[in-house]
Amino acid sequence: MNNVLGDKKAIAVLLGPALLVYTVAMLLPVFWSAGYTFLSGNAITGFTFAGLANFEKLFSDPAVGEALWFTIRYAVVITIGQVLLGYMLSLLYVFALKRGSSLIRTLVFFPVVLPTVAVALLFQKMFEIAPQNGLVNSALNAVGIGSIDWLGNGSTAFLVIVIMDLWRSMGFYAVLLYTGLVDIPDDILESARLDGARGLHLIRHIILPLSLPVLLSSIIFSINGTLKVFDSIVALTDGGPGSATTPLTLLMFRTSFTYGDYGYGSSIALLLTILCLIVTLFIFRSSRRDLTKD
Amino acid sequence: MVSVLSRPKARAIAPVIASAGALALLLSGCGAGGGSSAQGSKDFSYLTNVENTTIRGELEALSKDQCAAENKAAPLKVETVPQTSLDQKLQLLAGQNALPVQYAAGNAPALTQDLDKSGNVLDFEKALKDLNISDAILPGAAATIKSLYGGKLNVLPYQYNVEGIWYNKKLFADNGITEPKTWDDFVAAGEKLKTAGVTPLAASGKQGWPLTRLVSGYLFSDLGPDAMKKVADGQAKLTDPEYVKAAQAVADLGAKGYFGQGVGSIDYDTAASQFLSGKAGMFYMGSWILSNFDDKAQNKIGEENIGFMPFPKVSGGKGIDNQYATNVGLPMTFNAKTYDSNASAWLKCIATNYGSTALKDKNSISGFKLNTPVDNIPPLVKSTQETVNNTKESVLWFEALFSTKATTTSQTNAAGLASGSITPQKFMELVQNDLNSK
Amino acid sequence: MTANTAVPTRTSQKPTAAPQRPRTSPVKFLKRVPVQLSIAILLVVEIYPLIWLFMGSFKTQDEFLNSPVWAMPQSFNFDNYVEAWTTGNIGTYVGNSLIATIPSLFLIVLFGVAAGFALEVLVWKGRGTVLLVFLAGIMVPGQMILLPLFSAYFQVGLTGTLWPLIITYTATGLPLTVFMMATYFRAVPREVFEAAALDGASMIRAFFSIGFPMVRNAVFTVALVQFFFIWNDLLIALTFTNNADLSTIQVGLLNFTGEFGAVQYGPLFAAICINVLGTLVLYLFLNQRVMKGLAGGAVKG
Repeated sequence: MNNVLGDKKAIAVLLGPALLVYTVAMLLPVFWSAGYTFLSGNAITGFTFAGLANFEKLFSDPAVGEALWFTIRYAVVITIGQVLLGYMLSLLYVFALKRGSSLIRTLVFFPVVLPTVAVALLFQKMFEIAPQNGLVNSALNAVGIGSIDWLGNGSTAFLVIVIMDLWRSMGFYAVLLYTGLVDIPDDILESARLDGARGLHLIRHIILPLSLPVLLSSIIFSINGTLKVFDSIVALTDGGPGSATTPLTLLMFRTSFTYGDYGYGSSIALLLTILCLIVTLFIFRSSRRDLTKD
Repeated sequence: MVSVLSRPKARAIAPVIASAGALALLLSGCGAGGGSSAQGSKDFSYLTNVENTTIRGELEALSKDQCAAENKAAPLKVETVPQTSLDQKLQLLAGQNALPVQYAAGNAPALTQDLDKSGNVLDFEKALKDLNISDAILPGAAATIKSLYGGKLNVLPYQYNVEGIWYNKKLFADNGITEPKTWDDFVAAGEKLKTAGVTPLAASGKQGWPLTRLVSGYLFSDLGPDAMKKVADGQAKLTDPEYVKAAQAVADLGAKGYFGQGVGSIDYDTAASQFLSGKAGMFYMGSWILSNFDDKAQNKIGEENIGFMPFPKVSGGKGIDNQYATNVGLPMTFNAKTYDSNASAWLKCIATNYGSTALKDKNSISGFKLNTPVDNIPPLVKSTQETVNNTKESVLWFEALFSTKATTTSQTNAAGLASGSITPQKFMELVQNDLNSK
Repeated sequence: MTANTAVPTRTSQKPTAAPQRPRTSPVKFLKRVPVQLSIAILLVVEIYPLIWLFMGSFKTQDEFLNSPVWAMPQSFNFDNYVEAWTTGNIGTYVGNSLIATIPSLFLIVLFGVAAGFALEVLVWKGRGTVLLVFLAGIMVPGQMILLPLFSAYFQVGLTGTLWPLIITYTATGLPLTVFMMATYFRAVPREVFEAAALDGASMIRAFFSIGFPMVRNAVFTVALVQFFFIWNDLLIALTFTNNADLSTIQVGLLNFTGEFGAVQYGPLFAAICINVLGTLVLYLFLNQRVMKGLAGGAVKG
């Protein structure tokens, strides 16, 4: 029977185009760029061979350390937040709202549609302190707390970024996870209910295991997105104040194109890629194990 | 192919690479009629930042009028890129030897110098001399450009901006303040304004540079016009006590609340609006702001109520009298590699006509000589233009001679300096570290 | 309890499942109060910013800078929209965005679903490795491939067209699509395709007639995801276009900024609203399709 499913022609026709485009426009450039990690200079001044100097610099550069730490903090907090909030929302859609959830799903999903520039402007205005207080500071003043310069301080700026990105993305993850939950057959749930499973117990022992595949792909998707965060931070804080909210991607982009050190920039990119790789392989392995376990 | 694809990846990649060329050919076939960005002196191509509408607008006007003949030989073709991605675009284009005939040469002078070193920048001193129009650029503008680019005339002064402190004459009069000549007077004026419930100094901490301009202004005034050159040459360090003193002076202004609250989140428009609605008494800014002053919707204090003064002198300092910082805006240059008779014809036409037409059409002050007198310009523009013309000696700005990295560090940390979240010593250390690593 | 037993379309078709409704008791009603409260909060949090955006598109620069953030606009005239449409050239940008997005989306879905099928349903040596190679693509930061791609496009002569965008979007969109489609196909038992093959259909035909329709809900989800990635992309669009005639909507939004940092807020918000309106219409349309697809799946199985 495997003969039919192993049809060479079918494999070539179906896989060929994707693999070709992917290899030419993605894999090759990645290896090409990785080659620059041994060079210093940029396209204007020309490249010179630098050996392993870029890697040595990578491990001693405080800017890289700071950006790496920020990236990890951001990725962990946002991934947990996105998937957790998304999962809660999708449970809400499926079990509390049932078929009437379409409108609310659309509304909660909607921020994903907004251009990053717009969302960043919105949050800048909400958390504004000058020239006048934004909504948040006005609310604080109303309960007798003084205004806070939200974006003027590293830790509060981080908080604003977290709130903004969760607001933006939770609806998206809710829809993603929702498709997984809808696919759970009602009769399984019904028989579980008849067995006396209720509330959290039902979620933990029946729903969670059944939605595990889609949950895992959401996590992989989320962690890779958050480790590579770029647009939203550039638009909201541009890495500031100082360099307090600069992720690796922004540091890499600046190093390569603004500071004109393309080789070193590529090394930072490589570091980030390896980080993503380790995390994903870890999740991927555990997901495979879970799926094959019967 | 079939059998190859079913094998593991390592061996599968090689033939795919081989077929990449085929795909590329296929795609380029599809894209026929496009692919026009390749260089060539057929066009007078011009890459500019999308934000600046004045220069490209004026060049388009010239192409239909005074430079019509040049435009016929080599039509003006404008390409735009947002200023934030200009540096990236220049790198990509230079890597392909595909820089346009005229282009914006980077956000920091350091990048322009890199471009110059790799032979991409025209020597205008020679080019203008060959065209017998060496006097087309005002001496002051030429001096500014030369001090930026190690003595070379590398860019064209499409803008010639003078920076200083704009003040609200009415608020000054109401509070019994006269134009402050010294730093102490300046601080005292700030105190009076603050007591009167007015923000003394509007400044955009979000952009940072309006704050670091104050640091360099203080330095030039205290240590002399070569203060930043010494740092660039390694003869002095920003962490030296006399340099930290300048950062301290600006931090003190912040500590006294002279910038108002949340200086880090004040953007350009907010700062301008604070000044133009009478909520702030003073405003450090360049002369490009004149177009905002001229706009009745923005300017609620009236043009006649705006005064302009040089940076105050630090008592006992070595600075020059009437100290103004000048710049030529985002630098615009010609590509040395594509400079031919068509390009030089354009250069001649621009250098002889741009000064007058830009002033006439857009009230824009450039560093080109006015070959036709221009009347009917707003009084504030006129007086500023006279200031520009009479400025023989000027200073640069804080980041002018910095690497791009140090520039970013300086401008992103400036708000922290003014709000007190980092100390003056730390601020200067951060910037100096980036200067050292260059 | 594996995913294989939880085949969506196979089991949920049972006619008893759909109309099942639990009985409502007072306790249940009380339990629903926190749910309703949280929905109410959710709606405020989601809707208010949209209203704010829309209101912003009618404000003057002066109102932006001097009136409180939540103030209503003083007048509802369309000056900002006119400004955005004419000076801001939003029409051209939306057109460019569509020209770049639609072909990429089509290619991503076609190539991605086919590859997902080949990698998950078909059985061959090395498929796990190839899947991993695709997966690795999710991890590469987009900033890393810009310089090589720019050189390549330039050498081939594609600069100055929208082709670089279409190709890059397709390539960067594929890893996630392939990975997600492989996950979805994992839930479909192979026997379905084996049966089709026994009936004499080739595997390629089986893919188009059985495989593709079977995962079409997932296809819509993936297409939706990719659409917003591509539509909201700024980095790639900025790198590969150097001409106002080729700018996409996201690049176009930067046009409302001045050289020294000034922002024309009113026209910017108007441009954002035009942009959002377009995507909203598309989203509602696609959302309908997703719903129909889901319902269709439940009936036909």
